[in-house]
Amino acid sequence: MQEVGRALADALPHAARGPLRVLDDRAMEFASSDAELRAALFRFVDVVPACRTLDDLAGHLTGFLEDVDDPPPSIDAAMRMGSTRVGRAALGAAAAVGVKRMAHRFIVGADVSGARGVLRDLWRQGVASSVDLLGEATVTADEADRYAARCAAALDDLAGVYDGLDPMPLLERDAAGPTPRVNLSVKTSALTPLLRPDAPDLGRRDAAERLRPLLRQARDRGAHLHVDMESLDSREAVTDLVLSVLAEDEFREGPSAGVVLQAYLRDAPALATRLLEWCAREPRAVPLTVRLVKGAYWDHEIIEARQHGWTSPVFEQKSDSDRTFEALTRDLLAARSSGVPVRVAIASHNLRSVAHALAANDALGGHSADVEIQVLRGLGDELQHALSTTGRRVRTYCPVGDLVAGMAYLVRRLLENTSNESFLHDQVSGVPIEELLKAP
Amino acid sequence: MSALPPFANEPLVELRRAPQRTALIDALAALDASLPLRVPVWIGPDRRDGEDFTSTDPGDPSGVIATVASAAPAEVERAVDAAREGFRAWSARPAADRAAVLLRTAAVLRERRTALTALAVRECAKPWDQADADVCEAIDFLEYYARAAIDLEELAPALLQVAGERNTMAYRPRGVCAVIAPWNFPLAIALGMTAAALATGNAVVLKPAEQSPGCAFELVRALRDGGVPPQALALLPGDGEVGAALARHPRVQTIAFTGSVPVGLDILAAAAAAPSAGARHLPRVIAELGGKNCVIVDSDADLDDVVPGLIDSAFAYGGQKCSAASRVLAHEAVADTLVQRLAGAADVLVTGQADTFGTTVPPVIEESARDRVQRYAELGSRTGRVATTVPRDLPSTGWFCAPTVVSGLPSDSPVLHEEIFGPVLAVEAVRDVDAACDRVDELPFALTGGLYCRNPRTVEHVVRRSPVGNLYVNRAVTGAMVGRQPFGGNRLSGTGTKAGGPGYLLQFVEPQVITENTVRHGLVV
Repeated sequence: MQEVGRALADALPHAARGPLRVLDDRAMEFASSDAELRAALFRFVDVVPACRTLDDLAGHLTGFLEDVDDPPPSIDAAMRMGSTRVGRAALGAAAAVGVKRMAHRFIVGADVSGARGVLRDLWRQGVASSVDLLGEATVTADEADRYAARCAAALDDLAGVYDGLDPMPLLERDAAGPTPRVNLSVKTSALTPLLRPDAPDLGRRDAAERLRPLLRQARDRGAHLHVDMESLDSREAVTDLVLSVLAEDEFREGPSAGVVLQAYLRDAPALATRLLEWCAREPRAVPLTVRLVKGAYWDHEIIEARQHGWTSPVFEQKSDSDRTFEALTRDLLAARSSGVPVRVAIASHNLRSVAHALAANDALGGHSADVEIQVLRGLGDELQHALSTTGRRVRTYCPVGDLVAGMAYLVRRLLENTSNESFLHDQVSGVPIEELLKAP
Repeated sequence: MSALPPFANEPLVELRRAPQRTALIDALAALDASLPLRVPVWIGPDRRDGEDFTSTDPGDPSGVIATVASAAPAEVERAVDAAREGFRAWSARPAADRAAVLLRTAAVLRERRTALTALAVRECAKPWDQADADVCEAIDFLEYYARAAIDLEELAPALLQVAGERNTMAYRPRGVCAVIAPWNFPLAIALGMTAAALATGNAVVLKPAEQSPGCAFELVRALRDGGVPPQALALLPGDGEVGAALARHPRVQTIAFTGSVPVGLDILAAAAAAPSAGARHLPRVIAELGGKNCVIVDSDADLDDVVPGLIDSAFAYGGQKCSAASRVLAHEAVADTLVQRLAGAADVLVTGQADTFGTTVPPVIEESARDRVQRYAELGSRTGRVATTVPRDLPSTGWFCAPTVVSGLPSDSPVLHEEIFGPVLAVEAVRDVDAACDRVDELPFALTGGLYCRNPRTVEHVVRRSPVGNLYVNRAVTGAMVGRQPFGGNRLSGTGTKAGGPGYLLQFVEPQVITENTVRHGLVV
């Protein structure tokens, strides 16, 4: 494990970073250092798409900055600009540009064709992708239909994106057979407006009506469809949806499809068992892919539990999630190597978690292609580079969408990037490799 | 008793977990097997059963939930007499003793929790999550007022002390309190008012809504099982006349009422009328009345949050909450999109039986309520634009109303000004937030209000201009929690009291100041 980890660490790019990127990191660091400023900036980024004019934009910005008690000099300058109409226009324009640039770091294009260049470049660097279509929340049946139509169009467009590229054996085949180039992640909450925590069947039935045509299309086109996991409120619906639809006769032969296992949930091992039992039981031609993640809704789960007086469903200590993540990594890989038809994807930016998974796969005699590491665009770029240059299989999760649609996603990523608890923060702030690779 | 742990809200059932749902379904089956309940007139130890009226399942009006005895005028007299008797012993007990009784009652409710939830589902057609929240709030009121009553007794306000005199202030119970309760929170509101009165040493005569006598009976049973002396708590089921008789009774010192504006105004008028000869007190009325609750949506609001928040505020439990959203005042830049998304979101709501998980809009409480809601919906469609589509598959039995979103109404439309108490939401486009505030200000009601806006300066501005008792910013306007969102309206919406908050108990007591001369023979002794 240590060996694999050090090799990865050595392969992390250090110097080759664009000047803009350094600027962004400076801004992030700035924001991490002051909680009030961080709050003001996030509230601002969040509201940008809803502002109608530059004046409106500047009004919001100065409104948020007023709440910062001990403002640094640059904020004072912004506040002074905000006091005149001309100043506000300039401030609004500058802020809008800043937010757009931040967004482009995490979102690869306004739509699939806009993302074409990035996706093809990634492939040439030995990096696979999974595209996620960002969008406004689905609250109506029309919106669910529109999302499903966007997914269908994306499956078509992505086939074109990957046309004519050189074969990448590491990305296109593992011990279980070929794996599709086209890989689309979908969200159940976007496929139905009927997700209700207390009535999982309601949302499951409605989402299934829109998921089936997508699965047929993916099957016929040889694409992979991955159903993302969201908060615990919808976990039962999402899990039941995927497992029940994929078990239907028409999907025996395909497509390649996947679910997500969130290690931060206290009862994640029970779901892992259920998934593996399902894989062992269901005679499908293409193994189910299980993407293991730590989980992206930690704050939401904690807040909801506190407001309702519930025991938190997620681990409150990060180290508990990290330990469970490693245990589940071993369980999934062990099941695969003992013959359970399952594909394992490990999604993390934590050097230790990733090195652990790679080493575990190596120890079980797996080929590099047999464990896929997944990272997020904009957050895991260095790790992605290190993995692809050291002959590991890596897939980057690439959100696609316009600024309005992408704002919720962007704010979540920014929060993650400036959290003092995050691995990325440790890595950037120069924590020694021994610490980074320490057992959780 | 000072060793009581600090108040915390009773945790809701985690309905996203299947075993919790199964437990409730089982409880409902057990309840169904035991129906109908027999609800008596219950004065002291005497229980008189009767079959004067029934409560029925709003989703299946042929299903009788409770067979009920109606209190006769003589029984009103007897109940008040018994309460005066019971008051002597109950009021003499230390607050800590009375609090212990309330806390034991809370424990009893927890033991019977799933059964009570099931009863609220059947008798009042509350969907499961709503019924569960009702039970939790009932428990919260017991826990909160028990602590508050101890504080009221033990933490007397400090008075100025001068050499030679000792000044103390204390709060005394007022006497007999008539509690006249509504059906829409058949457990929480009835028990909240009752618990406040009992905690402060008053005796209570409870007149529950005629639609929810079964729930009230279970509350009284729990309170008595928890240790409330039978003389200190009577149950008088019946119609409005029983309530009116109680509210006008010369030996009733306090009337705690939650319900409609006309009945509330009648009670206030009766209380303010010249006391009859031989009157021995000025009655006090604690009233929580209706609302016409407005939510302002500014142009910078995130509609992804606004739509679910409004849908929940307007349509959960079919809008049958005094806090429910009824009017949306949306900035003209977002109004059209908002109407369209709201209508689409309302169209996918499940209108169905309350006992089916996933139902948002259950049947309304009774036939006359259904007719009233339909009248407003029809008026809306005649004079405005209904954006929702009527679902074709409403259940054939039960008092069902489809959720309706209507816009483009004339500014004097009754749909915009009267309390509908059903699943009808009106949306108006406004020029800006100030125009919205003006319209809110024109209303005689001021219960809850909402604001969706992300500019901190605008939020501050609207907060200053808002007359409502409870203003919610960037969230739903329903679901006030005891101790967190003390609840109550201003203007015609109520007497400005805050249930579940500091100060609520002061309305159930009379202050008394004791000044003792400590000088004797020129010396302070």
